[in-house]
Parts: sequence; structure tokens; C-alpha cells
Amino acid sequence: MTEKITPVREKILSNIRIQRFTPGKDRSPYFDNFKMEVETGMTILEVLRHIKNTQDSSLTFRAFCRSSICGSCALRVNNKTVLACSTQLMPILKDFGKATVTITPMANLPIIRDLVVDIDPVIEKLAKMHPYLVENKDRVPETLEQESLMSQEELDAFGLMTDCILCGSCYSACSAVKADSNYAGPLTIAKAYRFSVDPRDDFRGMRFQAAMDQGLWSCVQCRKCIKVCPKDTRPADSIRDMRRISIDAGIHDSPGSRRAKAYTDDVERIGQVNKPMLPVIVHGTKGWAAIEAAEAGLRKHGMEPTRQVCSLPGQSGAAKIYAKVREIEGKKKGEKT
Amino acid sequence: MADKQYDDGYMHYAFYSGCCFQGADARFFEILEKVFDKVDIKIHLIDDAVCCGAGVIEERSELTSLAINARNMAAAEKMGLPFYTPCSTCFNVISNVQKRLGEDKKLFKQVNEILAEDDMEYKGECKITHTLWMLAQDVGLEKLKERVTNPLNGLRVASYYGCHTRNPGDIQNYESSDNPTSLEDILKVLGVEIVDYDTRNDCCGYHLVWPNNKLSLKMTGDVLKGAQKKDVDLMVTSCPLCFKNLDGLQNKAVAATGGDFQLPVLFLPELVGLACGMSPQEMKLEWHGVPVNVRL
Repeated sequence: MTEKITPVREKILSNIRIQRFTPGKDRSPYFDNFKMEVETGMTILEVLRHIKNTQDSSLTFRAFCRSSICGSCALRVNNKTVLACSTQLMPILKDFGKATVTITPMANLPIIRDLVVDIDPVIEKLAKMHPYLVENKDRVPETLEQESLMSQEELDAFGLMTDCILCGSCYSACSAVKADSNYAGPLTIAKAYRFSVDPRDDFRGMRFQAAMDQGLWSCVQCRKCIKVCPKDTRPADSIRDMRRISIDAGIHDSPGSRRAKAYTDDVERIGQVNKPMLPVIVHGTKGWAAIEAAEAGLRKHGMEPTRQVCSLPGQSGAAKIYAKVREIEGKKKGEKT
Repeated sequence: MADKQYDDGYMHYAFYSGCCFQGADARFFEILEKVFDKVDIKIHLIDDAVCCGAGVIEERSELTSLAINARNMAAAEKMGLPFYTPCSTCFNVISNVQKRLGEDKKLFKQVNEILAEDDMEYKGECKITHTLWMLAQDVGLEKLKERVTNPLNGLRVASYYGCHTRNPGDIQNYESSDNPTSLEDILKVLGVEIVDYDTRNDCCGYHLVWPNNKLSLKMTGDVLKGAQKKDVDLMVTSCPLCFKNLDGLQNKAVAATGGDFQLPVLFLPELVGLACGMSPQEMKLEWHGVPVNVRL
């Protein structure tokens, strides 16, 4: 039996607070407030178009496909980066419990005008990552008639990142980019990973170098990029993966890779991370000063410092798990070769 | 939430300590126990657990991270109690593992085959929670209010969640991740005045302490600066790792960002304890890197 769906169409008289700025004309960004009735189902893009058509034709924003595939309409609503065309306003008004919503351009990028930013810095950083396939002669056939076949498992290794539409949302949300504008940002490293694990590619080493140069170990894993990605590509996971394959390829000489080794080995050995010794493990002899300072701090409070924390009861079980995983991963690697 | 096996008026939780409470931070075990006792909660240490790997183990082997954390949850399932961790990163990593295994039957099966090596089984039934929602939802604001004997009226507080109970949005379903209010709800019950500030949603940079110390300090300094500009008395965070950076590394972080100030930072359970009548000595506030020299 078919059931008739009657959507509840609510209306809320809202105040749309939009950041305005024309470089060269305005001294600094400012806000304009626009009153309008927001209806259930209305997207941010529809709201912006309505304001432009009925209230202020000078309001500037960028949009094209209206189908969340061109990636041109990314901006921030109440500080969260979203695609204007695929985000409805009503749920946001309800979530924040306010009739006012604030719309600002993407963060971490220069403003061209109002809600339009210059995306070139992201593209320039991406270009340095060699985001293209360099033929792997073992996998790519010599004639066009033959296909380069790939297993589902091989495709799954990078499949998510092929959905990236270069909208820059992750770059706008990135905590590390905010603090260090030289850092490559989530999508660029994730793209480098995507090409590096493609079996048709033979250029991995150069991408490791490019990623290391642009801050492979500067990602803080705050997971904000995963939250905002409109295509669910999970950039932060790809950054972890890029770190992993770089370590697997023998690049052990960074503080981050030494931390990864210490955490992994310590949990197998004692069930927890032996934090007292981390400064020396990560930074070499330079770390001794930090250890001694920490120990002096403990003594001040009458606590005797240790350089070896105790083994946790779960350690023996975890060690069995490590052994089994090693067996499986070893088997897998064996299958590939 | 109270489990059937206990009938003592207390809510019981399996307590996953993680490995952030080493060294000087070991004091937080005792502090958590005391504070929870004030609101009728008992925590039982999951003895048979290991460190969650903080996502770092995934940089060597994703399957290892999935398996050891499935084992951590299996240990809590054996106890028949909800899985409580005070650490936001443990919460994030373990919730993510639970989600992955819930969505991927093949992976669920594979992980259980690995766990069988240790005679363990992960059933996927375990409910994971954090201090925020234990206090705001399980205890509830009304009961918490009843237990506040020393309301901290007049104290101007900057609240700070950190990232790992909020990102990605589906990591928890206790409240909105874009506009969470549990921390502020708890703080209001304690009597303090919440002050909004620009850097409230920024990351403190804790997980860069080892890979990129300079950047980590800058991020911490920026967060503190935002709060300090609003002339707050102190900052309160629900994450013990954020606390390490915001308090323990504050002097270096403030210097790294060209500032010159000290802003006391409290770990949420400490402020709850103080509001429930415990003394600064019981909360061991003298252990803080930045002196907590405000009227409490």
C-alpha cells in the first residue's frame, strides 16, 4: 500500500548575517544582516540567491552545478565549512536554536570578494604532490587494446579519495593550516596517497619527498576534515595511510615516524606507551633535557620518577593479537608479490 | 545505566584509563573516583586492557589498531558494564573502531578470528561514553545541581571541548557535534559564568607535540590567547590531553606566540569536585603547571 508523504513545511523568519569584504575598497571585513523567511528544504545557496535577487545584487558568492559535484560553493555556516548547494538551512537554525545564522567565506584562503575566496594556494600545493599517474610498466600494458585490470581490493585502497571534488572544505577546516600556512593541507596529502597506492603508478618515492617537504607529519589528526568533507573521502585517514606507506618504504628518520614505531612497539611489549622515555626516542640525545626537567618536576612533588612504566595486565593478550596480525599482514604481502 | 548486577543506588561503569594518566597525571585516577562518588557513580578499572594507540598505531598497522581496541571493548563487555573513558582521544579511536566493525561484517569476522587467539570475543554490544555525557545525561543536570555545595558564582570561565569528542560528526550520538552544549550545561550548574571566545573551536595541537613540537606550541598558544583576550578567570577542558598542553606546556606555548600571561586551566572533573565541596588540596591543584590562583 502506498503511503502519502506530506512533508511539514515550516517557515522561520531569520536573520542571515553575511560577511562582506572587497579588498582594496573596504578596510576590513564587516557583516550585513538580511531578514528573510527560511522554509524547510531551502539550501544555503537558495538563501544566498534569494538575497541577491531581492535585497542586494552586489552580494558576491560562487556557485555552479547545484549538485555538490563542481565544488565551487564551499563556504562557512556558523563556522563550519559546507557546500552551499547541498546544505539546508533549517536544520542548522534548529541545531543552534537561534533565528540568526552567520555565513562567512572559507577560512585559510585569501578573500577575492565577499564569500568568494582564491583557491589557487590549494591547487599550487596540490601540483607539488605530483597528482597524476606515472606509468608502472609492470602493470600498464604496452598496447591500447589490452586493459590494465585491477582487483577490488587494490581499488579499495584509494577508492575514497577518487571522489574528491577539490572544493577545499577540508583545507578551510584544517587546524594545522590555520596555524601554519606552509602546511600542505588535507586534500593534497590525501591525493598524494591516492596516486601512490595506485598499482598502475611508479612514482611513489617522489611523492613521499613532496609530502615530507610540505608537512606530512604536521597533520594533528583533529579529524575536522573528515567531518566537513561533502564527499566523505576521509582525508585524515589517507594522511595516516600516507605516513604508514612512507614508514613501510623505509623512511624512519622523522620524529613522527619514530613516535609511530615507539607507540606500536611499546603496546606490544608492555601494553602501554612508555612516555617517560619518549623524548629521547623521538628526538635522540636532545631529548634528555626534557626527561630531566620532567623528573625534577616529579621530585618537587615528592614522587620518584621512573624511566620504565609498568606492564599492563592486557599486554600478554595484546601480544598474541600482534603476532596474529603480523601473520595475516605477512601473508597478504606474500600474496601480492 | 545502572547494571542489574549492582543494586546499590550507584551507576557503574567499566573504566578504561588509557595511557594518558602516567607520571604526575596518575593523580587523576583518585580524583575521578572521588568526584564520581559525589554523584553516585562507581568506576571499575578494566584490568585486562591495553593502550588504544591514540591513532598512532594506525600509522604502522590499521588492523592492529582495530584488533587491540576490539579486545579493549571485549574486556568491558565481559564486565557487563558501559565502557567509560575520560580521554577524548581514546573515546575517538575506540568509537571509530566500533563504528568500522559495525559497518563491515567481513572486518568484524576477521577481527574476531584474531581475538580468538586470545580466547576473547568482541560482540559489538558495548556502549562507549565520556565524562561529558555521564555528567550531563546519566547523572543529569538536576542531580548534579543538588550535589553542588560550593557554587562557583562569579567565576568567568572559557569552556574547551577539544576535537576528539566532536570530530567527525558521527563519532558520537549523544549531542550535536556542531553545537555541543554538554560542557557548558555542566559548568552552568556549577555556578560559573560561561564566556565565549574566538578560539573555542580550534585545536590545541596536542597530537603534534612529538611530530612537530613548534606547531603544537603555536596552536596551544593561539587557543589560550583567544580565551585570555576575553579576560576569563580560568579555562576548563573536558579532555585530559588538551589539559596537558594547555596547562603543562602553557609557558612555552604562550612564549611561542609572543604572549606574556598565565591562565589557569582545569580538567573538568577537578572543577566539578571543587563545586561539590572538595578542597583544592583534594583536587591536587598544586600539581598544575600554571598556579590556580583564583578564588574557588
